Amino acid sequence: MDGVHDIPGKRPRSPEDEGMEDAPPTKRSSSHSPPEPSLYSPMPPYNATNNAGDDSDNDPYYQSRTRSRSRTQSPSRSISHHSRSLSPSTPPPSKPTELHYKQTLILRGHKKAVSAVKFSPNGRWIASASADATIKIWDASTGALTYTLEGHLAGINTISWSPDSTILASGSDDKSIRLWDMTTGQAHPVPFIGHHNYVFSIAFSPKGNMLVSGSYDEAIFLWDVRAARVMRSLPAHSDPVGGVDFVRDGTLIVSCANDGLIRVWDTATGQCLRTLVHEDNAPVTSVRFSPNGKYILAWTLDSCIRLWNYVDGKGRCVKTYQGHVNTKYSLAGCFGVYGSPPLQQYAFVASGSEDNSIVVWDVSSKNVLQRLEGHTGVVMGVDTHPNEQAIVSGGLDRTVRVWRYREDAVETVTAHLAAS
Amino acid sequence: MNLALVDPFVLAQDCPEVLTGRLPGSGHSTAIRFSHHGDLLASGRVDGIISIFDIETNGVARKLRGHTRQVQSLSWSATDRYLLSASQDWKCVLWDLKDGSRLRIVRMEAPIFIAELHPKNHMLFVAAVFEDQPVLVDISSEVPVKRTLPTAPKRSQIERDNATEKQAAQDAKQTTTVTVFTPSGEHILAGTNKGWLNIIDTATRQLQYSTRLTNYLIILLRLTPSGRDLLVNSTDRIVRTLHLPDLTDPKLDFENLRLEVEHKFQDLVQKLSWNHVSFSPTGEYVTASTWMNHHIYVWERGQGSLVKILEGPKEELSVVEWHPHRPFVAAVGVDSGRIYLWSILQPQRWSALAPDFAEVEENVEYIEREDEFDIQPLEELHKRRLDQEDEEVDVLTVEPVKDSVDGEEGGGGVKEFTMPILLNVEESDSEDEVVAVGAGQFRRRSPGVGKEWMNDEENGPVASGDEVTRNGTGAAVNGTGTRKRKAG
Repeated sequence: MDGVHDIPGKRPRSPEDEGMEDAPPTKRSSSHSPPEPSLYSPMPPYNATNNAGDDSDNDPYYQSRTRSRSRTQSPSRSISHHSRSLSPSTPPPSKPTELHYKQTLILRGHKKAVSAVKFSPNGRWIASASADATIKIWDASTGALTYTLEGHLAGINTISWSPDSTILASGSDDKSIRLWDMTTGQAHPVPFIGHHNYVFSIAFSPKGNMLVSGSYDEAIFLWDVRAARVMRSLPAHSDPVGGVDFVRDGTLIVSCANDGLIRVWDTATGQCLRTLVHEDNAPVTSVRFSPNGKYILAWTLDSCIRLWNYVDGKGRCVKTYQGHVNTKYSLAGCFGVYGSPPLQQYAFVASGSEDNSIVVWDVSSKNVLQRLEGHTGVVMGVDTHPNEQAIVSGGLDRTVRVWRYREDAVETVTAHLAAS
Repeated sequence: MNLALVDPFVLAQDCPEVLTGRLPGSGHSTAIRFSHHGDLLASGRVDGIISIFDIETNGVARKLRGHTRQVQSLSWSATDRYLLSASQDWKCVLWDLKDGSRLRIVRMEAPIFIAELHPKNHMLFVAAVFEDQPVLVDISSEVPVKRTLPTAPKRSQIERDNATEKQAAQDAKQTTTVTVFTPSGEHILAGTNKGWLNIIDTATRQLQYSTRLTNYLIILLRLTPSGRDLLVNSTDRIVRTLHLPDLTDPKLDFENLRLEVEHKFQDLVQKLSWNHVSFSPTGEYVTASTWMNHHIYVWERGQGSLVKILEGPKEELSVVEWHPHRPFVAAVGVDSGRIYLWSILQPQRWSALAPDFAEVEENVEYIEREDEFDIQPLEELHKRRLDQEDEEVDVLTVEPVKDSVDGEEGGGGVKEFTMPILLNVEESDSEDEVVAVGAGQFRRRSPGVGKEWMNDEENGPVASGDEVTRNGTGAAVNGTGTRKRKAG
């Protein structure tokens, strides 16, 4: 893999692009070489003006199609915010009550809103998908642009890494799913064709042999990755499917839809094993298994994220995380860990918000540990690094931002402008 | 992780019930074997190609090309990374599934009945060959070291003293037809053409024990994962099961050991003979495919009774294999070479489709809760509910998975092997007998096409020096049809 230094032919290289970043695009070693001054211009602290333009919210394409839920909600219901109950229970003394993530990188380059960001499982790369129909692969430590993957005909909603980090899959509004070879930066010649409408969410199985996809056409397909064929179609929902995920051993799939249902499926038989529904019936836009697979985290358009225990009884909601704004977009988030592992390891939930921030909650106490401010638009996607204390986020302000845990107060923000 | 949610009644079933499908794909399969984890199935074919099927996707995960004749037996290493195949081209090949390469090629002096990898050392295997002594082959170096194993049964001192010349000559003429390792790898069980069962020590290669089970040839020996139950198929149309003592026990006295046959399974009415036999994962059931018959017989060992006859396709079945931990059986059709699968059908539980559904046997009168329709202020309700969410949740700790199969070796620090996902397997999957040449027009594929690799043997490590000449003659015999040679 290290020998691959050729630039994929698809990548547009305008002359000024060449001038901007001569060597780094293919620089993939994680050596922390000092950044070249021309490359990384120091940026003022993060609420600086973003001259790239903040008009993403007015982007007609994005508004109308990409992941904005058309389901009309009575405003009264969605606004009826349950007053946040920050229980004053004091956490155990050793447990940190706040986190100190600081912005370290701003990655610019996408021409439209960023819809999803993901660290690769080996922690080496960041993939960001955008409504501009491209995926960009960045070096996770330096922020250098490695690849720009072009091939989709419409905006991309979702991306998923294969477990060995060699393949990236992407689902798009052009109804197809594509695989990208990370060793070459080339697209796999056979796209996955089968969905009748926008592909909203995809997830690789833990072995990488299967891919599950949820679509606006209300169907969930289970794909044989090797043969690029539909193995099984799950008669899932009666509304667009918002999110899908595999459990850690691959035996279960969870899906959610605008009809407010969360369903758990048996991968081997394709049968529904459990249905979770909250009585408000708010559209569920995104769903994830916990790292140990015992809980399901679900985002709903009533500005709540709920943690479900799906095993006990008929399944019950054990935690509700509030404090972010989510009434319109399909926001995504993730689990992360803090504390000093392995003795003191605690879990947090991080999510984007429509108030341009990223909110981090403690899983058990539901307290907000930190709000990461910096984005100038809705934060669509958040992901945590598999083994470092880092968070990546992307949003409607077209930027991808990397946040790292820093105890010291020194804020060193480097912005990286790629192929603008 | 799905076990907590699956219907317990379904989980309680441990015997497959109905034909649920067949593996797709081309080729006439002759030998199949499940991997130890049960996610892969190796299938050796008439044309010498081995397909590795992914049981989860029902698709081909990898193809291994290297044999020129029908594949006779397959054996997985403990990590499922290596696969040993024996073929009628007199060769055994050890494959590395990480890249599909041929790690070792061992040429035998005769056709091979069965070759089995040592359960703990994938660089050691035992093979039973046609009309010759069985061999223990050490392939840790490039040049294989073959050591012959004894066949002539071990007689007691009295028998040896009274032995006539005729008996000695008969003993010397015996050949071993099947060899298997015990799960510990310390012993080899061997069956002979005169119905003797021999127990051979792997380290010393000395016969420890012999007993005569039948007067007929022993076709196959199978062991349960525990190694304490033995299944014997022989040409006298009786399937026998035996309890074995713990052979690893150092205090075991082979001199006074007596093995008793536990059950004899046979069909007295039709006098069916059995093609192939296998144990269920726990050894609770015994399955056998029958000669000139379409059924798979399933006996249960507690009572020794026939519990089920699996109806199948309309053809005779040869190899029948049981999944290592699920009620799931695969068998190969003799005529078509297709791989059929039997399993349990799970009905959809309607109660899973909505949280307030419940499956009831009879009508239940609904009893209203006292406060069910009370009107309460919404805000308060929400607040109360949120306050109730005060339990500690652990989303990180992974509970160790209890797996009946991996339980013994699990936690041994062996890094689990997962085969890389190949995206272009199916492109090469055009070995179907019939190829389309135009709209609605088909013709049979010419026999030599797609076998060009046979002619450039130098790609793989070659074991013996006579490889090249032998290969030349083999190709001449094989090449009955048009043969395309690779240019250059």
